[in-house]
Amino acid sequence: MTELELRDLRKTYAARGRPAVDAVRGIDLALRSGELLGLLGPSGCGKSTTLRMIAGLESVTGGDILVGGSSVIARPAQQRNIGVAFENYALYPPLTVAENLAFGLKARKRAARGDVDRKVREIADRVDLTPLLDARPTGLSSGQKQRVSLARALIREPDVLLLDEPLSHLDAAQRDTTRRELKRIQRDLGHTTILVTHDQEEALSLADRIAVMKDGVIQQLGTPYEIYDSPANVFVADFVGEPAINLLPGTATDDGHARLSDSARLALPVPVAVGRKVVVGIRPEDLTLTGEDDGIAARVVAHEPLLESGIATLALDGVERPLVVLTDPEVRLAHDDRVHVTADPDLTHVFDAETGDSLR
Amino acid sequence: MTMRKRLLGWLADAALILYFVFALFPIAWMVILSLKPTNELFSTYFSFSPTLDGYRTVLGDSEGIPFVRFFVNSLVVSVGAVVLSLLVGLPAAYASARWRFKGSENLMFTLLSFRFAPELTVIIPLFVLYQKLGLFDTYVGMIWVLQLVTLPLIVWIMRSYFADLTPELEQAALLDGYTRKQAFLKVALPLVKPGVAAVSLLAFIFAWNNFVFPLILTSNEAQTVTVGALSFLGGDRPKYNLTAAAALVSVVPPLLLALTIQRYLVRGLSFGAVKS
Repeated sequence: MTELELRDLRKTYAARGRPAVDAVRGIDLALRSGELLGLLGPSGCGKSTTLRMIAGLESVTGGDILVGGSSVIARPAQQRNIGVAFENYALYPPLTVAENLAFGLKARKRAARGDVDRKVREIADRVDLTPLLDARPTGLSSGQKQRVSLARALIREPDVLLLDEPLSHLDAAQRDTTRRELKRIQRDLGHTTILVTHDQEEALSLADRIAVMKDGVIQQLGTPYEIYDSPANVFVADFVGEPAINLLPGTATDDGHARLSDSARLALPVPVAVGRKVVVGIRPEDLTLTGEDDGIAARVVAHEPLLESGIATLALDGVERPLVVLTDPEVRLAHDDRVHVTADPDLTHVFDAETGDSLR
Repeated sequence: MTMRKRLLGWLADAALILYFVFALFPIAWMVILSLKPTNELFSTYFSFSPTLDGYRTVLGDSEGIPFVRFFVNSLVVSVGAVVLSLLVGLPAAYASARWRFKGSENLMFTLLSFRFAPELTVIIPLFVLYQKLGLFDTYVGMIWVLQLVTLPLIVWIMRSYFADLTPELEQAALLDGYTRKQAFLKVALPLVKPGVAAVSLLAFIFAWNNFVFPLILTSNEAQTVTVGALSFLGGDRPKYNLTAAAALVSVVPPLLLALTIQRYLVRGLSFGAVKS
């Protein structure tokens, strides 16, 4: 298989009479052969533009794309051998599933007729489409369409596979099965793959590594655990994690704490210069409700029991932002109950208030 | 209650029938006129001895008016105009739907503006030009000038059809190894076939019905039925029966065409309104 490398990749959209838009501002990425990398970010962060540049559907403003060590930016899409599964499948409606799959092989005139049929059957078998080979795309469910789209990208044995929001149009049940299928197929066939998504769950569950993107820049690159356990900045901390991390502004004190208000203080994991403005980040699942006189006093604003756990929204005295805590299923809380919470300093994150960068 | 409902139903039916009669009366009147013998033309309303002489005269090229040739001219010129417009207009529509290039919007607007300028405003300079260029009274000249009618129609309508197609289909074809040209010809174009059928029919009808251009820019060789049918009104006394017969004959091609491609037409005209 093949490795993929992006070097200082840039894209600027220039239109007359309008300010130029920097969609992608210098991306460096190196994928090992067979690796599945998740490109995660909110809409408009440049992740789809990056994908389209790799595929050759978008011109490159600057930088280089290397597939298997050689630059492909001078080649048009049809000469790059890159497979794409499009977000809305892009299946050709007048053709049957089998014809859709054979389309790419025939267009390239690479394979003999018998070969085409054999390959179609092989790939259909692999993605469980064999009973649907004679169906037309209009009659298929979203999950089936997604599998056809994936199979069409795979049948040409591409050097690199690109998946554009592969699960976003599926309902919850199909999403789970398709996600498992996707992971199995990618692992079996060993394609170097980039998965573009705005859905953290999709990225966390499928990707070997995740690149979190914002405003055309990669904010952090790491394994799902690295992204989750040590976010590089406020944006990554906030974007990854459900329910979202608590981010509380405060000031560093001389005894290794952050002062959130006159009465609320939290221990910091690392020494921070006294008086420095910081943002303290604690995930709802890293907070614990405790008995009296331990931790910070808080008032219950709301409690949502969700069977396997609960989500409590608390108000700290003198702190504007609410504090969200994941509670054990047996905990029962009522509005205006007084509680105490503690946070493990090792699981607490601290960011510079101005730059948003992690201070850990 | 039921009595009243039934009465209302009858009234509605009666109103519809009345409107039906009103709408179809001119056509019925034309049919009646075309079947009248010349001597009963002005002396009868509905009771006369019907005859097909009018049609025979018109199609038999008598009275010194070569109606059959006008008819063939109309066919050649209208089909030619539509075919040329499709050849030029489909790629143009596709390009303007997919890409914004320098001046693309201005170009499209210029094309559209051909439709809001009355033909009469340009007909005199065109007449002079055609005389000098030797295009006067020729097929080429007529097909060319009818582009003012058919091309904007085809480009603008087909543009919205192409814009409704997701570009990802063509992109997938590009990745599968098609060239841009193949992606257009083999992927995009077949999907807008219903649109092409609908817009071709519309363009054909507009071209077929055009009156001002053949009136001024042809005299005999390339004259079309719209102008030719009028020839029967000239002379010492107007021959309304022959004019009516000629007009009814000239309705046949658009009607036949509409009936043959009706299947596409319904799909074509509702395309884009409902997205799958």
